[in-house]
Amino acid sequence: MSPQDAAAATLPAPAEAGRGRASIVRLLEAWPPAVLLALVWIAGMLLVALFADSLAPYSFTALDLRARLSPPVFMGGDWRHILGSDELGRDVLSRLIVSIRMSALIAFGATIISAVLGTSLGLLAAHFRGRIEQVVLALVDFQASMPFLIIALSVLAFFGNALPLFIALMGFHGWERYARIARGLTIAANEQGYASAVRQLGAGPARIYGLHVLPNIASTLIVTMTLTFPEIILLESGLSFLGLGVQPPMTSLGNMVGYGREYITRAPWIMLSPAATIVLTTLSISLVGDWLRDRLDPTLR
Amino acid sequence: MLRYLLSRLLRAVLTIAAVVTFAFVVLRLSGDPALLIMSVDAPPEAVEAFRAAWGLDRPVWEQYLRYFVQVAQGNLGQSMRDGRPALTVVMERVPETLALTLPAFAMKLLIGIPAGIYAALNRNRLADRLTMVISVAGFTVPSFVLALILVLIFAVNLGWLPSGGAESWRHAILPVITLGLSGAAILARFTRSAMLEVLGQPYIRAASAKGLPWRRVVTDHALPNAAIPTVTIIGFMVGSLVAGAVVVESVFSWPGVGRLLVVAVSNRDLAIVQTILLLVAMTMVCANLIVDMLYGWIDPRLRTARAAGG
Repeated sequence: MSPQDAAAATLPAPAEAGRGRASIVRLLEAWPPAVLLALVWIAGMLLVALFADSLAPYSFTALDLRARLSPPVFMGGDWRHILGSDELGRDVLSRLIVSIRMSALIAFGATIISAVLGTSLGLLAAHFRGRIEQVVLALVDFQASMPFLIIALSVLAFFGNALPLFIALMGFHGWERYARIARGLTIAANEQGYASAVRQLGAGPARIYGLHVLPNIASTLIVTMTLTFPEIILLESGLSFLGLGVQPPMTSLGNMVGYGREYITRAPWIMLSPAATIVLTTLSISLVGDWLRDRLDPTLR
Repeated sequence: MLRYLLSRLLRAVLTIAAVVTFAFVVLRLSGDPALLIMSVDAPPEAVEAFRAAWGLDRPVWEQYLRYFVQVAQGNLGQSMRDGRPALTVVMERVPETLALTLPAFAMKLLIGIPAGIYAALNRNRLADRLTMVISVAGFTVPSFVLALILVLIFAVNLGWLPSGGAESWRHAILPVITLGLSGAAILARFTRSAMLEVLGQPYIRAASAKGLPWRRVVTDHALPNAAIPTVTIIGFMVGSLVAGAVVVESVFSWPGVGRLLVVAVSNRDLAIVQTILLLVAMTMVCANLIVDMLYGWIDPRLRTARAAGG
């Protein structure tokens, strides 16, 4: 190897290293480690929710009366009940897995209901204007001026509780935000060139809104979803904690914390693992939501 | 300005009317009140007599009007549990709830606003990052989990404070801290973003450029402008003074409005639920009215805009 060759071989190296470091920095700025961890956690929760039946070591209602209130492995328990067992000897891990599925089902169902309801009302208001818009805005004002927990509690008192009703009720949380955003952005979009161009070409309202306006305002709506999703989880778990949400024998994360509270001195593990799951999940979604907001929509906040 | 206030007042009245309508609709949709109160196997004549006595055999619109009149007279029915007027039962609990929510409110303001301002003025430094981490935690940890963690530490392990009940002021400490901490976290986050928004405005640069000391720029130009959005969220917190402690009261078995509501919901004591619903609506509407008036006072743009444009 000649000296020139050696120089040629070594010269680009520092520059490349510099570029390498810069690209790592850029990669870390685009994908912060906390957000990556949050995404991994959310993916894990989704997998658990999807495969709950095959993951749970026991049936979530199976009793093991000889192993009541047995502590989890890290508190000196044995491997039969990794996260311990409750006062009836039911496996905490199995119940946790089934609860994650229930809470995910409610949160997804309710988020979709709320997004579809709010966005449609917002689009209606923006399309028709006039009296319909006034009615929608009055409904938005009403919803925004009352704490939703109180409305939810009164509906539960009047109608009693069943799972479909409960999911639908949670779906009324936060619709007013989608309605406000969809209305505002659609009015703005209707004044832009692309919407009137499509209208001049003879497209009907369904085509204009479905194919042209909605994709343009979708990023803001998706960011709103990441804000309402954790709120719905907190609301559901709060109501279930009070014994007014998901009813036994079904179980949800808030439900587990609710009855685990009776055993807070003797068996804190019953409430600690579902509580930690709630906190980590809402934290992860909020982190991802903040990050998405910065990437997709710099105008929000 | 007067027109602005009048339109706000009209809107407040409309909101109350909407809540009363909501209560009426939900009450009628939830089943026949006669059967609900009388039991299913009551003799048909007795059910008819009950319907006639309560006006349930009248057309729906007449029932609706009667309902409005009753609500306006403060006649909200009797509690199913002890037969006392629902309004009396609820009002008894209000001072208990205020004993928690007022100190918690003070705590939110005293911690949340200074923390938010400090974080914004030291943006991206350690203090800011730390405040935001704590604030995100305060936002994502549900109040019942925070309450149980506090109970686990201060009542179970250390034994310093009682874990529930309402016998003395020491029983109020943990509930107040639970309420105050989560509210302070939200307020700090909000104040910080309001401050950051204002600090980026050209008039702040203009004020520093003309040689005003930074402290004066902050106190005379930044703070008053950042107060405008912050007042909105504080107004919402005032509105939730009466029933903002539903979960926390239940955790600490505190005999306030929130605990009453939870018990009434599980017993389906509709008169109580309806009274609390209306009480909360009244508080929220009053709080919003006060906020609107404060806007007129702290935001001169609004005064002139309304006066000019109507």
